[in-house]
Amino acid sequence: MSKKELGLALLLIVIGGITAALNPLFLSGVNVLNMANLIGLFGVFSIGQGIIIITGGIDLSVGSMFALLGVILVDLLVNYELPWPLAVLVVLAAGLVLGLLHGLLVTRLKLQPFVVTLCGLLIYRGIARYYTQDSTTGFGYAGDSLDTLTWLASGRSFGIIPNPFLILLVVALVMAVVLHRTVFGRYLYAVGRNEEEARHSGINTDAVIIGAYLLGGSLAGLSTVLLVFYTSSVSPSSFGNFYELYAIAAAVLGGCSLRGGEGSILGIVLGTVLLQILQNLVNILGIPSSLNFAVMGGVILLGVVADQQLGRRRERIQLHRSQATAAAE
Amino acid sequence: MEVLLELEGIGKSYPGVRALDGVSLRLHRGEVLGLIGENGAGKSTLMKVLGGVVAPSEGRIRIAGHDRPSLTVPEATQAGIAFVHQELNLFDNLDVAGNVLFGREPVRGGPLRLLDRRAAREKVEPLLRRLGADFGPDAPLAELSIAQRQLVEIARALAAEARIIILDEPTSSLTLSETARLLAVVKELRASGTGLIYITHRLGEIMDCADRVACLRDGRMAGELRRDEIDHAAMIRLMIGRDLRALYTAPARAPAQGGLEILGLVTSAFPARQLDLHIHPGEILGLAGLVGAGRTTLARTLFGIDPPLAGSLRLDGKPLRIRSARDAVAAGLYLIPEDRKQAGLVLEMPIVENVTLASAPLYARFGLMRRGAEWQASEEQRLSLRIKAPSSGTRAGALSGGNQQKVVLGKWLSMAPRVMLFDEPTRGIDVGAKGEIYRLMRALADRGVAILMISSDMEEVLGVSDRIAVMHEGRISGTLERDAFSEQAVLRLAIGSEGAGTARKQAEGVPA
Amino acid sequence: MKRRILLAAPFVLAALPRGLAAQEKKTLAFVVNVSADFWTIARRGIEKANREHPEYNMEMIVPGQASAAEQRRIVDELLARKVAGIAISAINPGNSTDMLNRAASQAVLFTTDSDAPASNRAVYIGTDNVAAGREAGAQIKRALPDGGKAMLFVGTMDADNARERVQGIRETLAGTKVEIVDIRTDESDIARAKRNVEDVLARYADINLLVGLWAYNTPQIYQAVKGAGKEGKVKIVGFDEDALTLRGVADGTIQSTVVQQPFEFGYQSMVGMVKYLNNDRGFIPASKQIIIPTRIIEKSNVAEFQGQMRELLRGR
Repeated sequence: MSKKELGLALLLIVIGGITAALNPLFLSGVNVLNMANLIGLFGVFSIGQGIIIITGGIDLSVGSMFALLGVILVDLLVNYELPWPLAVLVVLAAGLVLGLLHGLLVTRLKLQPFVVTLCGLLIYRGIARYYTQDSTTGFGYAGDSLDTLTWLASGRSFGIIPNPFLILLVVALVMAVVLHRTVFGRYLYAVGRNEEEARHSGINTDAVIIGAYLLGGSLAGLSTVLLVFYTSSVSPSSFGNFYELYAIAAAVLGGCSLRGGEGSILGIVLGTVLLQILQNLVNILGIPSSLNFAVMGGVILLGVVADQQLGRRRERIQLHRSQATAAAE
Repeated sequence: MEVLLELEGIGKSYPGVRALDGVSLRLHRGEVLGLIGENGAGKSTLMKVLGGVVAPSEGRIRIAGHDRPSLTVPEATQAGIAFVHQELNLFDNLDVAGNVLFGREPVRGGPLRLLDRRAAREKVEPLLRRLGADFGPDAPLAELSIAQRQLVEIARALAAEARIIILDEPTSSLTLSETARLLAVVKELRASGTGLIYITHRLGEIMDCADRVACLRDGRMAGELRRDEIDHAAMIRLMIGRDLRALYTAPARAPAQGGLEILGLVTSAFPARQLDLHIHPGEILGLAGLVGAGRTTLARTLFGIDPPLAGSLRLDGKPLRIRSARDAVAAGLYLIPEDRKQAGLVLEMPIVENVTLASAPLYARFGLMRRGAEWQASEEQRLSLRIKAPSSGTRAGALSGGNQQKVVLGKWLSMAPRVMLFDEPTRGIDVGAKGEIYRLMRALADRGVAILMISSDMEEVLGVSDRIAVMHEGRISGTLERDAFSEQAVLRLAIGSEGAGTARKQAEGVPA
Repeated sequence: MKRRILLAAPFVLAALPRGLAAQEKKTLAFVVNVSADFWTIARRGIEKANREHPEYNMEMIVPGQASAAEQRRIVDELLARKVAGIAISAINPGNSTDMLNRAASQAVLFTTDSDAPASNRAVYIGTDNVAAGREAGAQIKRALPDGGKAMLFVGTMDADNARERVQGIRETLAGTKVEIVDIRTDESDIARAKRNVEDVLARYADINLLVGLWAYNTPQIYQAVKGAGKEGKVKIVGFDEDALTLRGVADGTIQSTVVQQPFEFGYQSMVGMVKYLNNDRGFIPASKQIIIPTRIIEKSNVAEFQGQMRELLRGR
């Protein structure tokens, strides 16, 4: 655990502690499990976002991808009555294809990720709305044939643990190994920090970046399935609106730098946890709902400022230490 | 002689570090003071004190008769102190006049404060003429070479009516002829009464222009040399506190056949020129030439970063095709790039990850990095290259220039080098570390590696190479064997004048 | 980029003919506030009206975002296209008088769903939301005869229909032992709508009744209550006819839901505008409000209503 993550964990404990002191129900089983569920839902695609941010990119299109993939999923299940494993596979593959598209545009045409995914944000939502003629689609009139998938995506295991949370744990574990233990992960950080140098070391940087967008796209696909089953309906004009910003916020809180090359899976997960706690405490403490965003923004700003200041102090201390050793030599 | 600037007993302490200790210094009107010292000797801290960026812990600064304990940035500017930096502080997106007059643009239109372009041009033009610039005030800065930009910086100092100009490593990116021109400008400024502090690692330039030399070592003033005392050996003695051994060590055995043959190569920099060159295993081939002669492009093309337009390569007699840096690395052809912070290292990563970056798959099993093996390989390099760092876990960015260069070397040495291209291998590296880099290059050559060393440092080219090839506008204008080495010979080939007396042309070097 | 443009091309092309046709026939536009099934039902009403009056081109326009600014842009574009009539569910009617009057001066203007009495609209066709709120209030009283704690859920409180429904509920509950603990908003983020309910269930062990004011709120309440295993213990009163809401009514988890008749909004607005353009204004009452009554759907009539809905929403 790096100092950054430790600081974030500390912030979590402090905020959680204060909330629990003000209202002990914060730590009640029901509330904690509810939060675990939401952490699962938002964590999966935040990890995808984080991986893309580590390469120095960004994905603004995830929210719109949820809307597009979401209406496709509902349509396949309800109107085309596709077997659910097939429908889920189609959605995952579609996420992968969109990720590939982003990656190719970023690497081959050298477009800026911000621009590419901003266009994606607009295009996917537009297509989703056109495709459904702007009407909300849902499982309302669907039969019970989706019980297995409903359970997988929104049920609970071992009696109490929400499945999205378990899915997040698995995804986080796998991605942590990929990012922190594999050659690909090493390349990912190198490309994010210094793409030029990575190319000079004989690394196929384009492939690495495309890989990151592929991961991001497929995790967005997976998240779509979870989110659709959380709400049971998709209204194409609002489904997933702003979710890319939640993901970016979680990644940044978790130590990812928008310049790339920094961040860890643990940090991103902790960032997601913090965001969800913030939303929860608004409700638990009876703070007016309208202040929800303001509370979130305020705490993120506070966290980032604190991190910046602490980071500077650390750097100064390190500098002095290294100067001291240099002088001693 | 009027004293422009006087420092007395300047000290600066950081917690645990004494960066400057009792430094006293005087600068007279119309004088060039050479300031030398190894990296970390305290030169940049001293300059920061003069620029008003750092306040000294003790001592006093006397400028134009006023005593003060420290300066602020505006005070320094007002006192007529101007800097020409190693890393240029210019705006790429403005034109020359905009840069020269930045912060004091002439305005018209009263409260509207519109930029008065004509007045700006009229102000800047004579300055540029005085400096012998070959560009006008309207030229966009982005189109200027580094040498031209340096002139812009000097013009900026002149526009600010600076009485004290501090040149910090001004020639580290310049070619030989550009350096000569800069030195002429320095002498012209001196003649007009400006006081100059000239900081450099290139002792030849100091010999050429300095009236006096001051040397810093470990934050203290190690000594001063008067004009008649200035010579190479004396300066090096002051800097490192001992004599430097001769640069050149002869190869252990004669260069072998094979190596890298470059046949009819056409690079993107000079689409109309063909280039042939042969680098033998076991030799250090120096590649001299003016900046812009196409040397860096040649290195980048050989390494697969820039695509070649035509030509072929042979490595040890076998054809070699390089479409990307991956192909080059796979063939054992490595590049130590000119700009190591940009293209040689990931500064934020620890030494170990830098060392194994190019060969990461070798340390992986089933795609998972084996940290132990990786660490061991990196430690081997750290110890054998004598990289000054507590462990392989140290961030590359925290190292000095010389040690960073060793990390770049370590990256390739941990693999199987057959040809190594060094592009300005000792730029910004202090004297002590330079010697180590040269020794490492020689050791590599003796292991049978073919080495191409691009360098704009005449001392280095003449002192280290077994053979020198000189490049002029995209082709090899001649090669020199060791017995024909001389500064004049290299210069003559570099500026493209044919029939250089001492240059012995090589059949392979000059295309018909 | 090229690939995306190619992908988008068929959609653009598909949208073109409609725009061209608009120049030949008179166009009547129905501008809604947000995308919802509610408006899909209204669309069926519009389609029925269009079958009766094929000489008109009738279209429904859904803004990309539920914002007054977006709606204003849509209206300006419609006016530029010289449409003959506009029926609009204004997002912020109180402050949109200028825009509405501009529209009214260049075309026939009806308001629907949410009224703008201060504007020069010809007539309002829709629900009386205060009355609908009273209906819901009565349902709440019936569910909690001995009083209790209730929580309200809605997208945003800056929408008039939300405020009016709350007003009606408060009026009815005044003097009873039913306490409205709070109103939770979600800014139209459905996932947040659900988490709001979950959080309320976690925090207030003694909550007795939950009210969903907007169409998507009630199904999220239904799902969260079921997820928490509190069916029956926590009563639900809802608005509108989302499929899940109706399912909840059918299985008894939801006490009842107050439904409007959007089909009639669409149908009567269009037919009314046709009449108005033909100078038949007799259908407009002195109050300039045609109130379409709301209905209470409860267990006894839900099966029949579900059948109707399925019929209306099929084959889109």
